[in-house]
Amino acid sequence: MTRSAQKSGARVAASKGVAFSKSPVLAVRLPDWRSRLVLFVLFAAFAALAVRAVWLQGVSNQFLQKQGKSRYERTLELPATRGRILDRNGAVLASSLPVRAVWAIPEDVLESPPEKIRALAGLLEMPEAELRKKLDSDRSFVYLKRQVEMPIVDQILKLKIDGIDTRKEYKRFYPQGEVMTHLVGFTNVEDKGQEGMELQHQKSLMGVPGSRRVIKDRLGHIAEDLGMFREPHQGRDLTLSVDSKLQYIAFTSIKNAVEKFNAKAGAAVVLDVHTGEVLALANFPTYNPNDRSKLTGEQLRNRVITDTFEPGSTIKPITVALGLETGRITPDTVFDNNPGWMTVTGKRIRDTHNYGVQTVSGIIQKSSNMGAAKIAQLIPQQEMWEMYTKVGYGQAPRYGFPGAAAGRVRPWKSWRPIEYANMAFGHGLSVSLLQMARSYMIFARNGDIIPLSFLKVNEEPVGQQVISPKTAAQVRTMLESVVGPGGTASRAQVAGYRVGGKTGTAEKIVDGRYSRTINIGYFAGIAPMSKPRFIIAVMIDEPRGIYRTGGSVAAPTAADLFSNALRAANVPPDSSITDIIIPEVPLEESM
Amino acid sequence: MSVKLNVVLTALLVACALSVVNARYQARHLLIELERLQTHAHQLEIDWAQLQLDQSTLGKNERIEQIANAELAMSRLTPARTQYLTEGAK
Repeated sequence: MTRSAQKSGARVAASKGVAFSKSPVLAVRLPDWRSRLVLFVLFAAFAALAVRAVWLQGVSNQFLQKQGKSRYERTLELPATRGRILDRNGAVLASSLPVRAVWAIPEDVLESPPEKIRALAGLLEMPEAELRKKLDSDRSFVYLKRQVEMPIVDQILKLKIDGIDTRKEYKRFYPQGEVMTHLVGFTNVEDKGQEGMELQHQKSLMGVPGSRRVIKDRLGHIAEDLGMFREPHQGRDLTLSVDSKLQYIAFTSIKNAVEKFNAKAGAAVVLDVHTGEVLALANFPTYNPNDRSKLTGEQLRNRVITDTFEPGSTIKPITVALGLETGRITPDTVFDNNPGWMTVTGKRIRDTHNYGVQTVSGIIQKSSNMGAAKIAQLIPQQEMWEMYTKVGYGQAPRYGFPGAAAGRVRPWKSWRPIEYANMAFGHGLSVSLLQMARSYMIFARNGDIIPLSFLKVNEEPVGQQVISPKTAAQVRTMLESVVGPGGTASRAQVAGYRVGGKTGTAEKIVDGRYSRTINIGYFAGIAPMSKPRFIIAVMIDEPRGIYRTGGSVAAPTAADLFSNALRAANVPPDSSITDIIIPEVPLEESM
Repeated sequence: MSVKLNVVLTALLVACALSVVNARYQARHLLIELERLQTHAHQLEIDWAQLQLDQSTLGKNERIEQIANAELAMSRLTPARTQYLTEGAK
């Protein structure tokens, strides 16, 4: 090293004596493999990235595609509207309309000015204190009111309160209200059927909500339709057999009767003789399905279908029909009913009056218990039990109505003689009003019985023959005589039409004994007799006025119902009698 | 020769690209229109249901009878004051 070199190189790193390029450290020869290793590692890293990229892009791409979709696709719910319920003429009985549930984020709402909250309380029809109580909650989601109708919702949204929002839901409206409710039923707040046809046909009415997938842009507009994810199925409309007009007539008749006779309750059912359709089914007391805040069990009870009772004298035509059918009696067979009572195995059966010697027709017309028991004694118990079964008594009903009662007919082997005698006039077995009405089909039709339907029937059902047409005609003649001046149902006469039917009075069981004063009065009838069209059964429960028997409470109610129903249905009159003769002291049937 | 071809192809490419843009634009517009009309149809359906409901409510037999009795002074028909004409009868 020279002196000059030292001087000039004073500022360089090698000032200590060695130039960088000549540094002995660098002179060390590194092994070749090290650089190759670095090269290889770098190449391998790139290769791994490439393979990964191919893997994600080409082979296993579903996961990322799904994740991607979920970030730009939106699934829109397509709600299914619940089907409407229509009457046979297409009038709406129940229909769902969109409403809103108003909900709130309490924290945000409480920060808004008090006058806005006051206005909100007013629109929601609740006291301000109650609204504040609802908002006083730790939760971040509180329903303020459900099923708010659209005009009110619009006003609420106009208030522009922070933290108030709405959710779409449906509300069920029942325009016919209390008149039709026992048949149609109602749904709960979740749009689920709770009673009547709403419950029975829940599945087909409900429908299935669907969804579709779309891509939305930044403004929330749909930019692209990606098609249906699930096709929505709208709830199907349900057409009932009921006729709004007849239903209203039946309801009015029952309502008037319950008020007039100071009764606890009343019910009526109207059947179409040809199709087995239930044209009207009325109950009183009733309730308004649009406002069920004060609902009691008494109002909810469907006395036509779910209640059973002893049929009383209304069963006598069935007893007689079996006697006639088997040839054991004819309409003119004579029975001696003196002295107005008889004993069967020590127990007494009595009539209200001593009817003396009577033909079979007379027994029906005067409703003699003794006569019915005597006819029954000619018929073996098994045959009678089979007859009851054929007309549907004690049989699980198949009309498609929730909670329909089967009634009770004990097996014939367990009948004691006195019980059998009592059954001939309707004690010791129970049926529903609808079963009773249906059993009269065998008289109204030519001896056959058809299934009942709550839905509109398009073709006439095929009947099952129970008695011969001849027997049916004979019993029809007897039933018509009951509704004459000399029968127990003289009050059931209708101006202009021939009516036939049978009254019944059942004593209610109080403290294990038949009560003399607490009754149920019935009437089951057919009109017009020349060409039967309707079967009507009426039941008045616990009439507490001066009139208590079927002939005095149920028969006039049925007459009222018949006259209006026949007129409303444009049935041509088959009788020229327009003045009704009702005896001053009408005959009362035995109980 | 090849320059000419390139120019033609480029022009074609640009034209295609623009037509794609246009088609997408049209599709988007038609979709928005479709959505709008579907919403409108849905609203009309709701209105129809509402009107049918109103018809049923206003056509309630109870209301008709009340109006007939009270406002129009009508009364029920009875067979006693009805003349029936039967076809073929003498």
